[in-house]
Amino acid sequence: MIEVSNVSRLYKRAADEVHALEKVSLEIPRGQFIALMGPSGSGKSTLLNLVAGLDRPSSGSISVAGQSLDALDEDELARFRAAHVGFVFQFFNLIPVLSAVENVELPLLLTHLSKSERRERALTALRVVGLADRADHLPRQLSGGEQQRVAIARAFVSDPDLIVADEPTGDLDARNAEATLELLRTLRRDFGKTIVMVTHDPRAEKYVDVVHHLDKGVLLESRPGGSAGGAH
Amino acid sequence: MLKYAPLVWKNLGRNKLRSAITGVAIAFAVAMVCVLRMLPAALDSMLDRMSTGTRISVHNQAGLTYSLPYSYVNKVRAMPGVVDVASYQWFGGVVDEDKGVQFPNFAVDADHVRVVFEDWKIEPQALDDFEKYRDAALVGTMTMQQQGWKVGDLITLKSTILPVEAQLRIVGTIERGPFVWLSREYLEQAMLAQGFSFDTTGTIWARIDDASLVTPLIARIDETFRNSEAETASETEKAFFSNMMSSAQGYVTILLIVAGVVTLCIVFIAANTASMSVRERMGELAIMKALGFRWRTLFATLVVEAALLSTLAGAAGVLLSIGATNALRSITAGAGGAGPMNAFFVSNAVLVQTLFIAFFIGIVSGAFPAFGASRKPVAQTLREVF
Repeated sequence: MIEVSNVSRLYKRAADEVHALEKVSLEIPRGQFIALMGPSGSGKSTLLNLVAGLDRPSSGSISVAGQSLDALDEDELARFRAAHVGFVFQFFNLIPVLSAVENVELPLLLTHLSKSERRERALTALRVVGLADRADHLPRQLSGGEQQRVAIARAFVSDPDLIVADEPTGDLDARNAEATLELLRTLRRDFGKTIVMVTHDPRAEKYVDVVHHLDKGVLLESRPGGSAGGAH
Repeated sequence: MLKYAPLVWKNLGRNKLRSAITGVAIAFAVAMVCVLRMLPAALDSMLDRMSTGTRISVHNQAGLTYSLPYSYVNKVRAMPGVVDVASYQWFGGVVDEDKGVQFPNFAVDADHVRVVFEDWKIEPQALDDFEKYRDAALVGTMTMQQQGWKVGDLITLKSTILPVEAQLRIVGTIERGPFVWLSREYLEQAMLAQGFSFDTTGTIWARIDDASLVTPLIARIDETFRNSEAETASETEKAFFSNMMSSAQGYVTILLIVAGVVTLCIVFIAANTASMSVRERMGELAIMKALGFRWRTLFATLVVEAALLSTLAGAAGVLLSIGATNALRSITAGAGGAGPMNAFFVSNAVLVQTLFIAFFIGIVSGAFPAFGASRKPVAQTLREVF
């Protein structure tokens, strides 16, 4: 599903060069739920951005769902993300002026679905995350946990192959964090989604199939998570 | 693109107070621009109302303050195509010397104004009396109101340029303008009584048979008096008033420049609003780009949002200007001294142009911040904002 080959990412800050990633290679099979862990500045968010097609490697190559991302221009990358990637962020990042269902519907604006089809799919996604009754609420009218569930519904409503989650439990209390991780595991288990999650949360380990540890831009180790063996 | 309309609309209402304040600023500025842009047309309309196409003014080429020999009157009258001619001499009369000249007053040929100023529709009885009585005066309704005069009143006008104190009786009114007419015969006799003969006139007004003869007659009159003791400068009535108001034209130019500056200010106001709106949404824009929205789509929605606000405000401004000019015309209706105010009318052309300007302002003001925001690399924005 995802092949990361010898990828490096170099940033230039003023006169300095920052090596965010150095020659990282990784394979993530379809339907696997993996966690990228490591201290701040270890390069895990950089790797997530590269895999999601949000950024480009300085060297090396990345392939997702059989599609090499190296040769894609900005518009093609945008199309790739719209078709293949769903996003979950730490701070939910819902559009405040849109209701829950409108937020979920947002990625579907990039499809050829009719208005009624978009609405129907968005409501179905909200039902999956247990928020059908909150469809018309604005984000500010929802709790943090509810907002993250709406964000997760937005991430999978367009049926992407890959869901990337950047610290999805970082702004949640323990109960909502567990619920979010459980929901992500459900997406992997029931819908066959491949999920790549960046997290500092040690609770995440028991929900994922593999944990990859990074430090200073280098992939140090990969070990099975608590859900290992239950991916397929 | 229509599927993004709800998103644009909701973003427009994101900060209602800011949108409202910006909208009101744009609306008032657009209304002002609308009215100012109609000023030249209003002045032109006023000149049209004041003048006919068949009346010629003849005055000294050296300027209006120089006189012409009275003999010119009959010479012009004798020219083919001229229906009649009336001399028009500035009297400069005051009611109260301390207050100076409060209204324009002229000594005119009483037995010729009926024909020359036929379109002024002065009551026939008043004209009869004006011809019949040497001390008769015709007074503009506006001056009648200002001075508290009525027909039959005896008034005294002391000239500020001639040694004459005219004792006059009002025999009728002139609906148009604030003018006061007294008989030239009265002036001549009063001057004679002082030991002076009076054989000059300031201006000669000639009514022409046919508008097509105006231009050749103007040339002919000036040609006739070329190389004479007082060369003439003849012009149409509209040109005469237009020259009289040349200083007003200067003000109009200034006002139009102000209108341009106001337009520029609106661009900055709208750009500031758009810029603030985009800046506070950088994170959301990055999220939308992450979701797969292309930069062109985001750019277009941001620009449409700015253009929508500006155009809606512009439409409100246009309605405001229409209301204001309607009210102005209504208030000043019948007031002869209202000048161009009762000629203000927002034409369809200006309405459309102003709406287009408002739309253009929205496009320009939205484009710059939108371009920067939508082109920014998504990963960089995500790092900066979150």
